[in-house]
Amino acid sequence: MAGDQANRLTSGGLIDRSTALSFRFDGKNFLGFKGDTLASALVANGVRLVGRSFKYHRPRGILTAGSEEPNALVELRSGARREPNTKATTAELYEGLEAASQNRWPSLNFDVMSVNQLFAPIFVAGFYYKTFMWPAKFWEAIYEPAIRRAAGLGRASGVSDPDHYDKAWAHCDVVIAGSGPAGLAAALAAARSGARVILCEEDFVLGGRLLADGGTIDGLPAAEWVARAVAELEAMPDVRIMTRTSLFGVYDGGTYGAIERVNDHLPVPPEHQVRQRLWRIVAKRCVVAAGAIERPIVFAGNDTPGVMMASAMRSYINRYAAAPARRIALFTNNEDGWRTADTAIAAGLQVAAVIDARADVSPAHRSLASKGGFPVLHGSVSAVEGGKGGVRKISVSLTGGARAEVEADGLAVSGGWNPAVGLTSYHRGRPKWRDDIAAFVPDGAPPGMVAAGAANGAFGLGACLREGFEAGAAAARDAGRSGNIGSMPVADDAAFSLTPLWHVAGKCKAFVDQQHDVTASDVELAQREGFQSVEHLKRYTTLGMATDQGKTSNVAGLAIMAAVSGKSIPETGTTIYRPPYVPVAIGAFAGHHRDENFHATRLTPSHHWAAEQGAIFVDTGLWKRAQWYPRPGEKDWLESVTREVKAVRGGVGFCDVSTLGKIDVHGPDAGAFLDRVYINAFSSLAVGKARYGLMLREDGIVYDDGTTSRLAEDHYFLTTTTAKAGLVMQHLEFCRQVLFPELDVQLTSVSDQWAQFSIAGPKTRDLLKEIIDPAEDLSNDGFPFMGAREVKLRGGLKARLFRISFSGEMAFEISVPARYGEAMARNLMIAGKPFGVTPYGTEALGVMRIEKGHVAGPELNGTTTAGDLGLGKMMSTKKDFVGRVMAGREALTAPSRQVVVGIKPTDKARRLRSGAHIIPKDETPGPENDQGYVTSVCFSPVLDQWIGLGLVERGRERIGEIVLAHDPLRGEDYDVELCNPVFYDPDGGRQRG
Amino acid sequence: MSSSAIPYSTIRMEGASVAEFSWDIRSPLDRALVAGPYGAQGKAGVSLTEIHNFDLAQVMARRGKAGEMIAAAKARFSAAAPETPRAVSAADATLIWSGPDQFLVLSKGGKHSIEALAAGFAGSASLSDQSHARALISVSGDKARAMLAKLSSIDLHPSVFAVGAAAATSMDHTSVTLWRGKDRDGQAVFNLLVFATFAESLWHTILDSAAEYGVTIGHSDELA
Amino acid sequence: MRITCPFCGERELGEFTYLGDAKPQRPAADAGEDAVYDYVYLRDNIAGVMSEHWYHGGGCRAWLKVTRNTLTHEISAVEAAAGAGAAKVGA
Ligand SMILES: [Zn+2]
Repeated sequence: MAGDQANRLTSGGLIDRSTALSFRFDGKNFLGFKGDTLASALVANGVRLVGRSFKYHRPRGILTAGSEEPNALVELRSGARREPNTKATTAELYEGLEAASQNRWPSLNFDVMSVNQLFAPIFVAGFYYKTFMWPAKFWEAIYEPAIRRAAGLGRASGVSDPDHYDKAWAHCDVVIAGSGPAGLAAALAAARSGARVILCEEDFVLGGRLLADGGTIDGLPAAEWVARAVAELEAMPDVRIMTRTSLFGVYDGGTYGAIERVNDHLPVPPEHQVRQRLWRIVAKRCVVAAGAIERPIVFAGNDTPGVMMASAMRSYINRYAAAPARRIALFTNNEDGWRTADTAIAAGLQVAAVIDARADVSPAHRSLASKGGFPVLHGSVSAVEGGKGGVRKISVSLTGGARAEVEADGLAVSGGWNPAVGLTSYHRGRPKWRDDIAAFVPDGAPPGMVAAGAANGAFGLGACLREGFEAGAAAARDAGRSGNIGSMPVADDAAFSLTPLWHVAGKCKAFVDQQHDVTASDVELAQREGFQSVEHLKRYTTLGMATDQGKTSNVAGLAIMAAVSGKSIPETGTTIYRPPYVPVAIGAFAGHHRDENFHATRLTPSHHWAAEQGAIFVDTGLWKRAQWYPRPGEKDWLESVTREVKAVRGGVGFCDVSTLGKIDVHGPDAGAFLDRVYINAFSSLAVGKARYGLMLREDGIVYDDGTTSRLAEDHYFLTTTTAKAGLVMQHLEFCRQVLFPELDVQLTSVSDQWAQFSIAGPKTRDLLKEIIDPAEDLSNDGFPFMGAREVKLRGGLKARLFRISFSGEMAFEISVPARYGEAMARNLMIAGKPFGVTPYGTEALGVMRIEKGHVAGPELNGTTTAGDLGLGKMMSTKKDFVGRVMAGREALTAPSRQVVVGIKPTDKARRLRSGAHIIPKDETPGPENDQGYVTSVCFSPVLDQWIGLGLVERGRERIGEIVLAHDPLRGEDYDVELCNPVFYDPDGGRQRG
Repeated sequence: MSSSAIPYSTIRMEGASVAEFSWDIRSPLDRALVAGPYGAQGKAGVSLTEIHNFDLAQVMARRGKAGEMIAAAKARFSAAAPETPRAVSAADATLIWSGPDQFLVLSKGGKHSIEALAAGFAGSASLSDQSHARALISVSGDKARAMLAKLSSIDLHPSVFAVGAAAATSMDHTSVTLWRGKDRDGQAVFNLLVFATFAESLWHTILDSAAEYGVTIGHSDELA
Repeated sequence: MRITCPFCGERELGEFTYLGDAKPQRPAADAGEDAVYDYVYLRDNIAGVMSEHWYHGGGCRAWLKVTRNTLTHEISAVEAAAGAGAAKVGA
């Protein structure tokens, strides 16, 4: 019968029969209507078997009609857009939808792994822990792959998601979760008060249970009342109605997480649109009107396809005009379940029997039974016959001991309702037990949040409207809104009577958690084995740990646990509730931040010029920096870098060093301030001069270094390393605002204001003369080493010139306003052409600093002191500064410390590698003889060999000693010589020349 | 500081070769910004305009001199400098709050460049030139607020963020100065000062966020 | 979490950087090693109300003293550091 919508009722429903949609499930073509979910379309087409279970591969059907669904999980779409574990019950049908059942092989009807059922005794609670413990190495090699094949859910696509996701913020006075009667009433009251309202509804239609259960509100049919309420809300500019949006979490300070499935109802999102959007909603108040979830009763065979929640049957029949069965039996322990019998009869379906666990049934229901010609059996379902084809026969244990059998092709079950207490419990809230409804209800909520309606345990329609309206009005009032809220919508309250029934004892498997295949006997076994706490029960049996988070299973599990342990349910307690309430795709959390947009990037002012030159870029923090500039014919990076170094040492080169952090330090106390943050003095620095400075952390360890220049009496220009720029700014602001508030000093980051270039090499002056106004004196007298001042460029532009050198060559750094940075690079190339000017990247920069023994990131590594770096003499004894006292501690000044030293292999042809450990010659390599390691290495074109810097115990006293470089990672051991870290021009004549 | 291109050529003194170079000024968005439509077709929901070549000075009060700084600003701009997160329009400059006892002076044509401001604020405030440290982007259109909601955690509802409101805040983990300028054609105009080295990256993020609404992109030499 | 900056107003957590306990005061220059040791290393880690340093680096760059309950994240007070802004003479 499948494929022709044979189970579609001829009239009714909120589907659009004029818009037929074709779709495929497991390779077969079907038709449904606009307004269907995949589940309702499958129901309409008579498809009952939709998946195999997680552990035992049992045939499973559709249990619910909402986001609590444990069974009907499918792989939606195909190829790169394949999405596993999608609930058929919430997947909106669209033209061309493709879905496949999960966890079966080779086919849903014939599943090889269903033999797992035969071995069921070993798949009991905790079986992973018990069975696969030893030997440990078998876990990865054998057990895990086998279990993964046998158990599990859908398959990820395995390829990059082609769709876009984004994130956004929203702000309002009142956010409302759920658009059933309570949610709509809350929205009306809040919006009429003048509040800014956001109404989130996970479904694609507003109305909640009203869509399935109808009713009369303000004398109107529910559907009409909903339409009027929605029209009123939509007309208000500060009301935002968000369908397909689940509020999934609540965070501190009134921030709520919501996921909007913007285009999941389309095969491919329209161009430029996202598939999903993650919302962070900041709300003064929140009304949780998320409703309640009907709970199953645990009995043998309760997972047979065709067994369905009673409320879900009403949804399929009333909302979707799809008959889940033709001859329906109802098993209920409460009054509400009876509504399914009413619905079935009204839809022209047969009711086989109502099995009511309660002693009494109301006269109205008795007369319904006699009118409908079906028996009312007092008792409970003890077994269900039927396999993958679905329910055929139901065995009933009657009160008093007799048995009965009922022929039916569908079994509706109602064990009562559980308020959706997730959101209200996310801040470690523990819901409280209410005996009258035998359910947990919220006991308080995170600040600003309140539950209303069924989510608060109010199950009558009138009560839902009343609670919702009052909560909405109060929320708006708390948010400072006081408009006229108009009249409250009214409806009758149906009586709610229930006799708790959780579990019907029996011999066959009775499932508590259908998604994780946890049975009642698993729960009992866990209890017997000593897992008494619910948190242990959860982890040992995996009850409630599947993607549905136990929405239909947790309370039943607790109840069974309580029964076997002889405690009450409230004594047994609940596990801790944690977000997200529904699964949220990682893609939505990432949003725009993926691939090349994983993080923001920073570009230097000469970036595009460097790209034109063919530069290879390296990621340095957020920066893209030119690493080297390959030229045609060069076989590798080393050849390019070596050429660049030689060009600088032999002529002139330049490098964009704008990535250095730059900070303006202003104010009368600027010098005094710098004296306190650097180990050396800056108040004594003359205007027009630069000085290298070293900063410590308060614990005495080196924090950062850089040159700082005094541009005016009350103005210093401070530079930091690239890596620490932001952190140094933060540190300096801490010093200014918290440690030394008495100083009159102002700090501004000017990192982005200046394009800064290092120009180095013996022909530097020749090049600069082309760029700088001839009136500026660049001679040693006119601009001595460590000079710093403003100069005029040819053409009138002002620049800052600093005579500082990182390369050991005659060098200047020149700063121009950043928008001239690219022009500066081009002009340096033009002006330097006669001198063979060569742009160089960070690699050549690194080579030259190692040749000069300058420390950088690998040496300023968060463990070294000024003394370790060979800079101990800079430490002033005449003033206090951050880190001074702690730097003097014994351990930080011990002579045995590892200090910076030069290192070179004794075999000039050998490559030195950073990370190699230093071991005394003739000692056994190992931790006990480890005396330090190689921190930085390079190939030195000047020395024509690999050289490096290292941190080595007493290194400075051991110059000339041959030690072992031990590199277990690469399996190398070789001799190296400890040497003066200044490999090149140790007297510094070149940079002063 | 001059803010226009300075063509320059020089004849080398000793040699015979002629080097020619010019000081082209280039916005950090020069490469990334392509004027015209972008994203979804039809009426553009978002309009993005980069403002070129402006003067921007950071004015920070010296210790205990906030009052004197405000007085100096009053004398120069005939306007009360912002002491809370607001942007104040003066005749030929906008004063934008940027933190406690500090504000930015945004202007054109060198009239309120850092050099021009120096004398007036001597002793009361420290000045730092930020003219080249930022890119200035003006955002308007029906969907401007919807687009900005993807980038900014600030509530931009007109009842909260009215004309003249300003915020020192972050977008994409990057500091920005955001303020609402005067409405244009009945629509809100949001101005963004973003750090120059982040500008291209943030620009792409802005385009990604705006694409679904349809974008019209342009640049201007006029301050909004 | 949201923190109300005394200068900027209420802002989301992402704009702030946490430093830690705001109680310890940096000792005077001549206080000696023990005092500095206490200042650098000894921190209270209170399950309850704490005074903490936070930096509004993603906003106005003010350092703040935030009184926060570490159990509930409830923030009961926020004040600016003594040297935030231009301060006042004598402060
Ligand atoms: Zn702030």
